[in-house]
Amino acid sequence: MPAKELSPIEIYQKLPRTNCGECGEANCMAFAAKLVNREALLEGCKPLLDPENKEAYDELWALLKPAVKAVEVGVGETALTLGGEYVFHRHEFTYFHQPAIAVDVSDEMSDEEFELRVNVLNDFSYEYIGMQLTLDMLSVRSTSGDPDTFAAAVKKASELTNKSLILCTLSPDVMRMGLEVATERRPLIYAATKDNWKEMAELALQYDCPIVASSPQDLDMLKTLTHTLEAYGVEDIVMDPGTAPNDHMAANLNNLVKLRWQSVNEEEEHLGYPILGLPLVAWAVEEEDTIINEWNEAVLSALCIDRFADAIIVHGISGWALLPQIILRNNIYTDPRKPVSVEPELVVFGEPDELAPVMLTTNFALTYYTVASDIESAKLNCYLIVVDSEGMSVESAVAGRKMTADTVAEALANFKVGDKVKHRHLVIPGRSARLSGEIQELSGWTVSVGPLDSSGIAKYLDEKWTPFPED
Amino acid sequence: MSLFEDIPVDVGIIYEGERIRGRDMQIELGGPREDYKFELVTAKPMDEIEDGRMTVVGPDLPDLPEGTNTPFGMVIDVAGEEIEKDLEGVIERRLHEYVNFIEGFMHLNQRYDIQMRLSKKSYQKGFNSFKMFGDVLMRLYKSEMPFIKKVQITFYTDPEKVKELYAGAMEIYDARDARARGMSDDEVDVFYGCSLCQSFAPTHLCVITPQRYANCGAISWFDGRATAKVDPKGPVFEIPKGALIDDVTGEYEGVNKVIRDKSLGEIERVQLYTAFGYPHTSCGCFEGCLFYIPEVDGFGIVHRNYKGETVNGLNFVTISDLTAGGRQVDGFHGLGIEYMRSPKFLQADGGWDRVVWLPEEIRDRIKEFMPEDMIPKIATEKDVETLDQLKDWLRERGHPIVDTWKEEPAAAAAPAVAPQQQMTYQQQMPATFTMPTMELPAGAVPGLPSGMNIRIILKNAKIKAEKAIIKVDKE
Amino acid sequence: MVEPNDIELLLNKDLLEKLAKFQAIELEDVEIELEEIEFSVEGSGGGGISSPLLARLGFEFALIRDSANRITSLLGGPASPMGIAVPQMMPAAPGLAPVAPAAKPTELIPETMGVPVGDYPGSIVEVKLGATKTEGGTRAVSYVIGGEKVLPFFNFQAETPNKPVIALDVFDWPKVPLSKAVKMHFREYLEDTAEWARVCVDKFGAEMINVHLLTIDPLIEDAPPKEALKTVEAVLEAVDVPLSIGGCGDPHKDYEVFKAICENIEGERLLINSVTLDMDIEGTARLVNAHDNCVIAFTSMDVNKARELNRKLYDFVPKEQILMDTTTAALGYGLDYAFTVMERCRLAGLKGDPELNHPMSSGTTNAWAAREAWMKMGPEFAPRELRGPIWETVTGMTLLLAGVDYFMMMHPAAVDALKTMINQLMSDDKPAEPTEWVSVRM
Repeated sequence: MPAKELSPIEIYQKLPRTNCGECGEANCMAFAAKLVNREALLEGCKPLLDPENKEAYDELWALLKPAVKAVEVGVGETALTLGGEYVFHRHEFTYFHQPAIAVDVSDEMSDEEFELRVNVLNDFSYEYIGMQLTLDMLSVRSTSGDPDTFAAAVKKASELTNKSLILCTLSPDVMRMGLEVATERRPLIYAATKDNWKEMAELALQYDCPIVASSPQDLDMLKTLTHTLEAYGVEDIVMDPGTAPNDHMAANLNNLVKLRWQSVNEEEEHLGYPILGLPLVAWAVEEEDTIINEWNEAVLSALCIDRFADAIIVHGISGWALLPQIILRNNIYTDPRKPVSVEPELVVFGEPDELAPVMLTTNFALTYYTVASDIESAKLNCYLIVVDSEGMSVESAVAGRKMTADTVAEALANFKVGDKVKHRHLVIPGRSARLSGEIQELSGWTVSVGPLDSSGIAKYLDEKWTPFPED
Repeated sequence: MSLFEDIPVDVGIIYEGERIRGRDMQIELGGPREDYKFELVTAKPMDEIEDGRMTVVGPDLPDLPEGTNTPFGMVIDVAGEEIEKDLEGVIERRLHEYVNFIEGFMHLNQRYDIQMRLSKKSYQKGFNSFKMFGDVLMRLYKSEMPFIKKVQITFYTDPEKVKELYAGAMEIYDARDARARGMSDDEVDVFYGCSLCQSFAPTHLCVITPQRYANCGAISWFDGRATAKVDPKGPVFEIPKGALIDDVTGEYEGVNKVIRDKSLGEIERVQLYTAFGYPHTSCGCFEGCLFYIPEVDGFGIVHRNYKGETVNGLNFVTISDLTAGGRQVDGFHGLGIEYMRSPKFLQADGGWDRVVWLPEEIRDRIKEFMPEDMIPKIATEKDVETLDQLKDWLRERGHPIVDTWKEEPAAAAAPAVAPQQQMTYQQQMPATFTMPTMELPAGAVPGLPSGMNIRIILKNAKIKAEKAIIKVDKE
Repeated sequence: MVEPNDIELLLNKDLLEKLAKFQAIELEDVEIELEEIEFSVEGSGGGGISSPLLARLGFEFALIRDSANRITSLLGGPASPMGIAVPQMMPAAPGLAPVAPAAKPTELIPETMGVPVGDYPGSIVEVKLGATKTEGGTRAVSYVIGGEKVLPFFNFQAETPNKPVIALDVFDWPKVPLSKAVKMHFREYLEDTAEWARVCVDKFGAEMINVHLLTIDPLIEDAPPKEALKTVEAVLEAVDVPLSIGGCGDPHKDYEVFKAICENIEGERLLINSVTLDMDIEGTARLVNAHDNCVIAFTSMDVNKARELNRKLYDFVPKEQILMDTTTAALGYGLDYAFTVMERCRLAGLKGDPELNHPMSSGTTNAWAAREAWMKMGPEFAPRELRGPIWETVTGMTLLLAGVDYFMMMHPAAVDALKTMINQLMSDDKPAEPTEWVSVRM
């Protein structure tokens, strides 16, 4: 895996080594370090972009480029990167670009439904660990098969949202009309197939848009298409191996896995492109109730998110179905090297009075949620100081000296805990027992050591809590 | 712990961090106000110890005036089939933990620096004799380190006796340190591997030898041995070192085999005393990190507590990120501070002759183990702030690395990195390689017009042929 | 055959002398490294350069490059693409019409895709759960799980040997906090654990039952082991599927209760849930082995601790009686950690790690710890009767993809969904036709 093998020295030696600082780093070695971690872009080095350094640039690019190409869709603030991935398993390095989620509309939908869906795209938002999770694209497809009808729908879409677009029709004539009214938007073209590739490729070049190569259930043909498109001069390609409805879950998994494996692990040519998943095929199956379609789509979508889809199109817009999808993709695409942390702060549970217990935990998300959950289910009224431990759990933070008597004393002061309660009694987690005396000395608060596991908090407080232990 | 039901105070891990304030203490044993204090573990043969015997030489707790401090010595004799003198230090270090586990009893520092305080509260609860104290310690030792079979303890509070034994204790500490530092890799057959950090760095193992401390700074070869004895199925285990492959880089067959097995083939070889080629991997909890500075073809060292930027503009976190995670990265190398005191420190790369910069705090800590002539030549953050300043400094001070700066220092750096890696694949050339033939589709080409040339250029091509025939055309 | 007639060889003086002497020299195993090599193809008459020719040349050189790259990467080196300059057209000979510069293909360029190879030195052990009458027990079915030789459901590499199994959780404590969406299915049975179990099997298709003995918890009712035994016996009587026995988490009490159960119930090949690093590992393991039961080795999301616990168990109980559980965290509350730890364990086991090649177990019920699974949220996220089950389903299926072989779950809809998915993933049934969707009115 390229990420593992790269040495910053190797990269450094190909840089201009002038230490000019234009990249924003102190020197070339610092920039090389950032490049290896994919925290900086090669384009950041201005001297490298000089024609005389082209060879070095090309060599560096060959070393650093992602196995799955980064394909840009859309323009401006809502532009997206699809793909740009380096590894098969997230634990080998990290995944970089979470799959874009596109909401589906079609050109024969009533105005009402059309607008409702676009509103969902624009407004859907969920707050999660300090982030706003939202949807990304609008997929406009032609069920009419009529160029003018399609053009009208695309135009309407462009006016109602400024998010990126996918235009879906297999007819080049229809596609052309749609592209005409969306020239400024750089939409993703769906799709070039073995039957229409030449005309679609022409459109992609003419309108400078990325294009999906679609070959349902035939991967050899998919590679044929991508290679041919490349030879044609098309550079930005997305692959659609065909998503089948739930009964054929195995075929879906196989396609996704094979494509990603071959491109990333074997570096097979012509396959290094983002993959499009189409969970909305669940709606092409007749079901007794649309709830079943929506449920099936959510499950298909989860498969695509778990395994390598870089963009997905969904038809269901119910919150109960979308919520697990957006949270799942956030989770899978979190950098596994960086612990997820919550905001350090003083959290209030229930309605604590001035004699209520004051407790402590770290800002590692998992730790915090577990503790919070235990406090909530026991319906306790108390204060919980969430200390900044750089996202480490209690045990690790104490061992790694990220949580110390100093940081705790600081938190007590900064969060003005002393203003909230009359007492000065703090309960610390069992696993931070080592710090008890030091915290006491530094802060002046009386420190008691609580249970090792937060599930014991309720019992501990019940049996041992008193605001003034010195009495 | 049900082990201590008969003890009037509690014993457990939650008391580890307890502090006893001066006004709350019943008695202070040792401490800054006393000149003579020590704690000592000695290994004795099984027949020389009476298990459970606690002796007090001098006043016992009830006879020591409340709120005062006293000279103090504590000698813990241990016996067990597998206990050797070498394990004394390891067993002794546990005293800090175990004393702290006792509710209302605090232990600070170690060896000849100890400061212990018993709280009035615990004393009044009934924890009022050294015998009881010794009893608790014995139970803790036996349950945590089951290879200890017999324990007897003598407590000294008689000022004369403490002073007398103090000198002997100091000699023992010195001898231990000398032995630990004097021991070489050649003297042992077994190293120790530690996989404690594998949760964060799945392919990482520290290889701990008498001359190479663990990266985290917590485990010496002796510690490794004791830990492996205590918990043979735990995270610290024996590595039979096997045949020596290379003495300078520190490569052993046995070590390579274990590393390969435990990293499931991800890491194939480890060379213990170099930062290039197949360096010892790093996890993330190392005390310090070595970093290569190509501009001067030398190494910088930075430690975890160092705040701010090092001489090359990177800080500890950035530098350590480059090598963390169990990777072998040329020129970036996590290490424990004790390793810098080792005579084999970085020996394959030139040892201290190759180090150009390190934080003042570290230099002061390990000065006695640095070659005297190098000390003034290695810069600290107080001496230089930029690479240019570093270059000047090294020239002014006559640092040996300057001699290698014939031309562009960076160019000189290149060979150091490439060959070792690339050599491995060149040795595995295929036996045969057939050049694919190029055939034009039949009928596709009527032929090229005369005078028309096509140039096809291949760059960086490697052509391998089973046979190449060079003929002279006789015409 | 296009022959290069301008090749610069590294000829040394020695070679030249020999050449002069012998007129021809044959060299074996020649390796020529060139910074640049230029081929000239000279025209000999007639016709024009057609774009098929150039395309074909480009294609053929691409083949050479591909071969060279494949060989280099087989040797472990980095793939360094040989730069190939696209042949530029020369101006046409006088009298001939100029041909378009770009060599765009007019036909598809046929390709075939490689197939990932799944050739691992290790494989996952197989564990049998439950015992039928012929096997010495009283169950109607027993299951074998594990045995995988490739990553989960990579059917194109190898068949999945055994189907993952799903158990439903039942509790011996009527006051166990359950979300409404779950409780609504079991309300009448909370007081009767055996009946609860029966409903799970008969109505909701549970393949096993996981009996959570919560009342034994000293913090709950501190019920004595013999009470727990009675409960388990009642459940055994009520259902004919294999059982797993869940403790309360107190290391001492769990051991006592497991002891009572193991010593009094013979032949059923129960699954003891679970043994942890802070229990009496030897004692528990001996218990499990002496009565031919199986055990779940439980650690908290730490690959190394998982290894350590397994290692410590091996002295006392065979590998074929051990499952691994590295903790399941809910979607949104650590699912990614759980997923990655499991993926790593499974991969390590396949790569030959002898301490990690066990079937894995998941407490998927933990999905309900997520607020979003049970809380009443705004109307845009309603109804929670769907949200909860989909939460549990997505949690479970993500871990199914990581290699879980044994699931403990709560909601019937989630159980059904996961069962269905398992069947689908094992059937390897390619659709007869591609699914039309673009022009479908949905």
